[in-house]
Amino acid sequence: MYRYDEFDLKFVHERAEQFRGQVARRLSGELSEDEFKPLRLMNGLYLQLHSYMLRIAIPYGTLSARQLRKLAFIARKYDRGYGHFTTRQNLQLHWAQLPQVADMLVELAEVEMHCMQTSGNCVRNVTADHFAGAGKDELEDPRILSEIARQWSTLHPEFSFLPRKFKIAVSGSPADRAAIMIHDIGIQIVKNDEGEIGYRVFVGGGLGRTPFIAHEVGAFVAKRDILAFLEAVMRVYNESGRRDNIHKARIKILVHQIGPQEMRKRVEAEFAEIKKSGVLELPEEEIARIAAYFTPPRFEKLGEFCPEFEAAKRENRAFADWVKTNIAEHKAPGYAIATISLKPVGKTPGDCSSDQMDALADLMDAFHQPEIRVTHEQNLVLPYMRKKDLFALWEKLGGLELATPNHGLVTDIICCPGLDYCDLANARSINIAQEIAKRFSDLERQHDLGELKIKISGCINACGHHHVGHIGILGVDRKGVENYQILLGASGAEDASLGEILGPGFDKEGIVDAVETVIATYQDLRHNGERFLDTVRRVGASPFKEKLYAH
Amino acid sequence: MSQILTANRLQVGEVVYWNSAKGWVESLTDAEVLAEGRAEAALKGAAEWVSKREVVAPYLFEVKVLGSEVTPVKIRERIRAAGPTVRRDLGKQAG
Repeated sequence: MYRYDEFDLKFVHERAEQFRGQVARRLSGELSEDEFKPLRLMNGLYLQLHSYMLRIAIPYGTLSARQLRKLAFIARKYDRGYGHFTTRQNLQLHWAQLPQVADMLVELAEVEMHCMQTSGNCVRNVTADHFAGAGKDELEDPRILSEIARQWSTLHPEFSFLPRKFKIAVSGSPADRAAIMIHDIGIQIVKNDEGEIGYRVFVGGGLGRTPFIAHEVGAFVAKRDILAFLEAVMRVYNESGRRDNIHKARIKILVHQIGPQEMRKRVEAEFAEIKKSGVLELPEEEIARIAAYFTPPRFEKLGEFCPEFEAAKRENRAFADWVKTNIAEHKAPGYAIATISLKPVGKTPGDCSSDQMDALADLMDAFHQPEIRVTHEQNLVLPYMRKKDLFALWEKLGGLELATPNHGLVTDIICCPGLDYCDLANARSINIAQEIAKRFSDLERQHDLGELKIKISGCINACGHHHVGHIGILGVDRKGVENYQILLGASGAEDASLGEILGPGFDKEGIVDAVETVIATYQDLRHNGERFLDTVRRVGASPFKEKLYAH
Repeated sequence: MSQILTANRLQVGEVVYWNSAKGWVESLTDAEVLAEGRAEAALKGAAEWVSKREVVAPYLFEVKVLGSEVTPVKIRERIRAAGPTVRRDLGKQAG
């Protein structure tokens, strides 16, 4: 994985000390709250319902065991012994105290981490496919470009005061596991007819109060040109994005207002100008230098068929169930990718205790995993597991409440912190996720239902991605009472689309029954083996509405 | 409608409530219930505590008063007063 050089290390330590000074000036009265707020946000520090919340950047969702242990330590020493993994592959600590935050940043700097680019109107932490370097379908590790983009965007003077926040995601394969179509810039690594690797660039996706799916602005951008192209997009946005209305300031609004064709025209014109100077042309040796940091571990020469693994599946039904959902194909024969669900039934989606983090770091060492990944679906991934080790891993995970066999199933719910923690939320979301998970906890039923992605947000800002759930749930405040709207038939993957609100919302007691009705309707209507999403797309929303609002 | 003045402590972020006799208090049960005319004045007075760096982000919220029982109208304030409903071991409710 990427290692900081001397400059990086010095910089993050200086930033921590700079923030210590800013906190001291705030506490002494030298800085007002209005002056301090943008400074704390530049360091990922929010004031939430109960306390300060520190959002820690996990670039492209990759952590070493050393970093994971440090996160466990920080959460235990400075917070309440747990953290919450988010849909942008970050970690949030919800009980931080202002005088201790600089110390937390110093601790993070010691393991090459920080909280920059997790807030404010800047280019945010770049996210990537969590199967990077391991996925069987991958063309190239998306973290190489993600790291290049991170270095280009961090402290970029031209983009320090953008109209609004700016999110970039990179996918290295045709399957989109990074939700690129709902990002300000989504990049898909592609191969052209000549066999060259390049980038397909989408612009203007996003959720929130005005959701849009991104539009293609570059069908194939050569590797050497990608920074010039990204800079061109940013310049068009920086110049033409609205600053008079926070709700209309994202690039998606600009693309919608001028149209994708005009956007392409403007980007191409800017791109041509930037290219003339040649300043942003990426030298091959620099790409190779960054790529070297992401060289996968040396894989043993193993057969694809692993007798021990197959025997364990035959002999242990619970292990076989876990394998069915939580194990994905690896590019190296005899290896597999293990998804560790952070969605045990009845618990908070995405939460992980310090004890669990420490234990996972120990497992990384025991099973020779140089990295663990955070997914935008709020799970963790061990990307380089030998198949023959999977049974032993599963047994250990079981003892940590980390072997829930539900990845991609109805109980693997994406969920924002909602009104239990968040200052912006209008309704709770975690309790709804918990109740739905309890209702559908029967594993046989979950497997019968197959892939079904429920995504819940506690407000229109959509941190829980409700617009792109197979079933999306949006919590609103209806005359002081929590109310939940259902959206149907959307996806945040390669077949991305936005959901349609079915009708009037339900109270917190009624929403679980409503989800049950939607799912029962699917069971009645599905063809043999047909996924939930495919059934909804085939029959449309009407049959579901009829059942939901029959009385 | 009766109201309560609330804010967060600047240093630790903890939720606090205004009581003109006791100052900023941690528990909703110690908060002063303000009648309509006094609420706005109390909010204006909070500016002094903001400038003294005691609290940040003061605002008023509505409560229902039934006998000695004071209940925030909005669930947001009920959650702020207690802690996360999904983690009873955290926040003020944890004791």
